[in-house]
Amino acid sequence: MTQQLNPESLSQNEEGTSKRDDFPLGGGKGRKDRVVLKVDNLRIHYATPQGDVIAVSDISFNLYEGETLGLVGESGCGKSTTAYGILQLVQPPGYIVNGSIEVDGTEVLDLEEEELRKFRWTGLSLIPQGAMNSLNPTMRVKDQIIDVIEAHEGKQSDKEALRERIFGLFQNVGLPNRIYNMYPHELSGGMKQRVCIAMGVALHPTAVIADEATSALDVVVQRIVAQTLIKVKDEIGVSLIVIGHDMGLLAQIVDRIAVMYAGKMVEIAPVENVYAKPLHPYTQLLIDSIPSIKERKPLKITEGITHDPRNPPSGCIFRLRCPFAWGHCAEVEPRQIMVEDLHEVACHLYDEQFTERRANALATIANS
Amino acid sequence: MGGISLNYLLRRLLVFFLTLWVAATLIFIIPRLAPGDPIAAMVARLSYQAGFVENADLIIEGWKERFGLNDPVYVQYLRFMTGLLGGDLGYSMARFPSTVTELVGRALPWTIGLVGFSTFIFFVVGNLCGALLAWARTPRLVKVLIPMSMIFTSIPPLLAGLLLSYTFAFLLGWFPQTYSYGFGLTPGLTLEFIASVIHHGILPAMAIVIVTFGYWALGMRGMMVTIEGEDYMILAQAKGLKPFYVLYRYMIRNAILPQMTALAVSIGTLVNGVVLVEVIFNYNGMGTLIVTALREQDFGLIQGTSFILIVTSALAVLIIDLSYPLIDPRISLEGR
Repeated sequence: MTQQLNPESLSQNEEGTSKRDDFPLGGGKGRKDRVVLKVDNLRIHYATPQGDVIAVSDISFNLYEGETLGLVGESGCGKSTTAYGILQLVQPPGYIVNGSIEVDGTEVLDLEEEELRKFRWTGLSLIPQGAMNSLNPTMRVKDQIIDVIEAHEGKQSDKEALRERIFGLFQNVGLPNRIYNMYPHELSGGMKQRVCIAMGVALHPTAVIADEATSALDVVVQRIVAQTLIKVKDEIGVSLIVIGHDMGLLAQIVDRIAVMYAGKMVEIAPVENVYAKPLHPYTQLLIDSIPSIKERKPLKITEGITHDPRNPPSGCIFRLRCPFAWGHCAEVEPRQIMVEDLHEVACHLYDEQFTERRANALATIANS
Repeated sequence: MGGISLNYLLRRLLVFFLTLWVAATLIFIIPRLAPGDPIAAMVARLSYQAGFVENADLIIEGWKERFGLNDPVYVQYLRFMTGLLGGDLGYSMARFPSTVTELVGRALPWTIGLVGFSTFIFFVVGNLCGALLAWARTPRLVKVLIPMSMIFTSIPPLLAGLLLSYTFAFLLGWFPQTYSYGFGLTPGLTLEFIASVIHHGILPAMAIVIVTFGYWALGMRGMMVTIEGEDYMILAQAKGLKPFYVLYRYMIRNAILPQMTALAVSIGTLVNGVVLVEVIFNYNGMGTLIVTALREQDFGLIQGTSFILIVTSALAVLIIDLSYPLIDPRISLEGR
């Protein structure tokens, strides 16, 4: 993969052309002109006796209407913390240091307690990680869907209509009506996950966050659940953030991928760009490490040292492992640079003033 | 869905009756291993009161013959067991004309009332306190006050009874010191009698409650903390449910299940405590009866009272066991 740092891909930016005017993989319903979720400089720390661990460090991104955004990264890179931060669910000792989270123009961090309660699930809903334990074992499936409806829409007097509504939700996610009166332990893992999806879209929220919604399932069920997720998302027309580390699965269902490394957003790009011409050195190594059935590949991201999350290195977070790092990387923290429409990368190599260095880096790759 | 199959019910009942049989056998054996002779003891008591009893030896022999104590042990055992089957617990030796069934019948309702009432109070109060201790939204003041109210948890019920009796009955005179209802009242469904029963029952019940509820509060707190870490709690929060609803429907509902199991296990210990508390308050229940029986070496009464206590405890455990599928949907007692 020596053509990764392809200068031609950057020249497209100057011409102002983009291959992606819509989001073909996500059903093509996305409209990049309307931002439904705007995350700005979100910073989340975990307090420890030895000092704060920086879990999420000044992350900014937009989620467009109808878009499916994938959030990927290694375990512990802060993807789930980011999601829980957006949902206002960061559990102590975690806390949000600063930032802004706007959903449909509402600043979530400014909401009062009762306003926040009402905003939950109607603004942002969650399809949780590990659906196995995400349902209350002592409540019937129907009651767990009814309780969220009644918490936001008041007591429902027409029980028959309520039942039909839930049957409708079941139908959306391909669940049989007979589970209506069942308890969670009577369902399979895939069914539980689909109950969570049905629940997640029950109130037609602005955006849904699926936190590793498929990671506890086998590949066959994984595929079905992922398809269900996308189908429901398109039918209802919500925006979706899918968190995961299965690059192969994400490639099939998302419009854009945001790559995180050690609490930082290093690159955010349309999905085909990430795979065809990843720009950030970390993304390149990550893509290069995806195993394929035809070829045995070594893990590329092994060189260099990882840093202490309490004392991150100065400048660029990735410089200790980056094959292209130079002095400037230790001094200045890279901003997110828009290299192309919807494609941002946080790396000095793509700064206008280092065009020469980018060419050198390319030469290095070519020589190796 | 939880349900009870006939098969399970039969098996569970078999275990229940097996328990009773083993208990009955042990109760038969143990007093006979103890030194002392109830009839000699009674005659000695009579002679102590009267100064002299004529033909004491004859009386002792006659009574031994009358109670069948001269028969071989297995005959006594068979007589004892057939008696039990017919609900006949024999005669009290120390209060001869009275049958054990009669005495127990008079005492048992009081103990069941006392145990039931105090169990209800400490289970509800204890679990509620534990839940509030763990709940994030509990006011800080409450979280300080609850542990302070648990200082009596480590003292024996006996001492708690003495303490309450001294303070509230002797010093303050708010509650009567002894017995289960006021003297001169005829038992019946009159308002006066019921009020008197409640008035008399409060101190003994509190003696049990104050030493017990802290234990349940701590257990509940531990369970609640575990539940708080469950994935479904995060989802409950994300769903924007009302906090109080989450507390009882998600947290307490799940945390109470192991507490129910613990309650079934602890019923035996509970009865121990009640026996002593009854003695302190001279409460005319099974506890007082059993202690009197022990003091008088009244074989028949010891056997009868112990057996009835075991039956009621086993019955309580059986009821909790059988009600488990109703409270925990994951447990089904359907036969496989």
